[in-house]
Amino acid sequence: MDKDEKNLEKVAMLAGEILLTSGAEIFRVEETIQYILSSFGKEAEAMVFSTGIFIHIKGEAIQAKTMVKRVSERTTNLHRIYQVNMVSRQLCNGELDLLQANEQLEHIRKVHQYSNLKKEVSYISVALFFCVLLKGSFLECISAGVVGGILGMVILLSNRLRLNSFCINVLGAFTIGITALIISNYIVPQISSDLLIISAIMPLLPGVTFTTAVRDILNGDYSSGVARMVEAVVTALAVAVGVGTGIALFARIL
Amino acid sequence: MTIVIQTVGAFFAVVGFSGILEAPKKFRFWSGTAGAVCWFSYLMVLSYSSSKIFAAFLSSLAVAGFAHIAARKLKAPMTVFLIPGILPLVPGTSIYYSVYNIIQNNSAMYSYYLMETLQIAGAIALAVFLMDSFFKRMKQGRKKEGA
Repeated sequence: MDKDEKNLEKVAMLAGEILLTSGAEIFRVEETIQYILSSFGKEAEAMVFSTGIFIHIKGEAIQAKTMVKRVSERTTNLHRIYQVNMVSRQLCNGELDLLQANEQLEHIRKVHQYSNLKKEVSYISVALFFCVLLKGSFLECISAGVVGGILGMVILLSNRLRLNSFCINVLGAFTIGITALIISNYIVPQISSDLLIISAIMPLLPGVTFTTAVRDILNGDYSSGVARMVEAVVTALAVAVGVGTGIALFARIL
Repeated sequence: MTIVIQTVGAFFAVVGFSGILEAPKKFRFWSGTAGAVCWFSYLMVLSYSSSKIFAAFLSSLAVAGFAHIAARKLKAPMTVFLIPGILPLVPGTSIYYSVYNIIQNNSAMYSYYLMETLQIAGAIALAVFLMDSFFKRMKQGRKKEGA
C-alpha cells in the first residue's frame, strides 16, 4: 500500500472525527468522509454512530480495508465544522494536497478561537440577555448577568482541573442554585430566584443536542438519534441534580 | 416596542452564545442576525396565534431558510448559522423542568414538560428537515438545467 493511500485514509478519518466531536449531524459526517474518499477514486462505505466511526474501503481482497475509530468526546464547536468543510472542499478542488490537508486538520483540532476572558464575557452576556428574552426586569437581568459570570468562572476553573462533563454540569448548576438564592434572598430581595436560575443555566442545557437528535432521527439515523437524546437527558439530569442540591443545601443551612 | 427590545436581546444573547459554541468569529454578526430573525418571527406568530409549537415551527422555517441562503452566500455549512439561529427556541428549559420534576417526584408536571420538549424539538426538526429537502431539490433542479 503506497503512502498516498495511507494519507488519504488518515485525512478522511480525521475529518470525520473532528466533525463528530464538534457536534455535526451524522449525515454530514458520513457525506464528508465519502466525498473525500470518492474524489480520490476510492469506493468506500462510511458508517457513523454518535460514539464511533467505521470506514470500509473497497478493493481487491487483499487491499480492502476497514478502519474503526472510537469517539468519546462530544462538544459543540461550529468553527471546527466550518474549517473541516473548507479543507474538504479545497482538497477535492485540488487546491490542497493530502499532506497539507492532514497538517491543517491537525491544526484545526488543537486551535481554540476564544480566550478565557472572551468566554467569561459570553457566559455573562448569555445569562443577561436570556433574562431579557424571558421578560425579566432591569434588576433581574443585571443579577442574572452576575450569576452567569460566576458560572463562567466555575466552568473555566473545572476545565482546568480536567473534570468530566457530568461533574462540570453538576458543579456549575450547584453554584448557580446557591448564588441565585443568595442574591434573591439577601442582596436584591424583590426579584425571583427562578428567573435567575433559568437564565444562567442556559449555557449548560442540552437544547441543541436534543434538537439535533430529533433531526438525526428524521434523517433516518435512528441509533445515533436515540443515543443523542439519552445524552441530552443525562446532561439535563446533571443540571437538575446540581440545582436541586444547591436549593436544598440553601434551605437547610443558610 | 417590547418586540424591538426582545429582538435586540435575542441578537446579543446569540452573539454571546457564539463564544460558548465557538462559532466562527467572522460570522458572529450573521449568527446573531439568525437569532434575531428567529425570535422576531416567533413573537410575530405568537401575537396572532396562541400555539407555541406552531410559532416554533414557522420561525424555524424562517431560520432554516435564512441559514441556507447565508450558507450559500458566505460559503459555509448551513449548521454554522442554523444552530445559533434556533438557540432561542430550543427546548432546553423544558428538558430541565421535566428532569427536575422527576427528581421532585411530581409526575404530572414531568410528563407535561416532557411532551412540550418533544413537541417543540419535533417542530424545529421538522421545519429544518423540510427546508433542507426544499433546497436540495432546488440544487438538483439547477444541476439538471445546467447539464
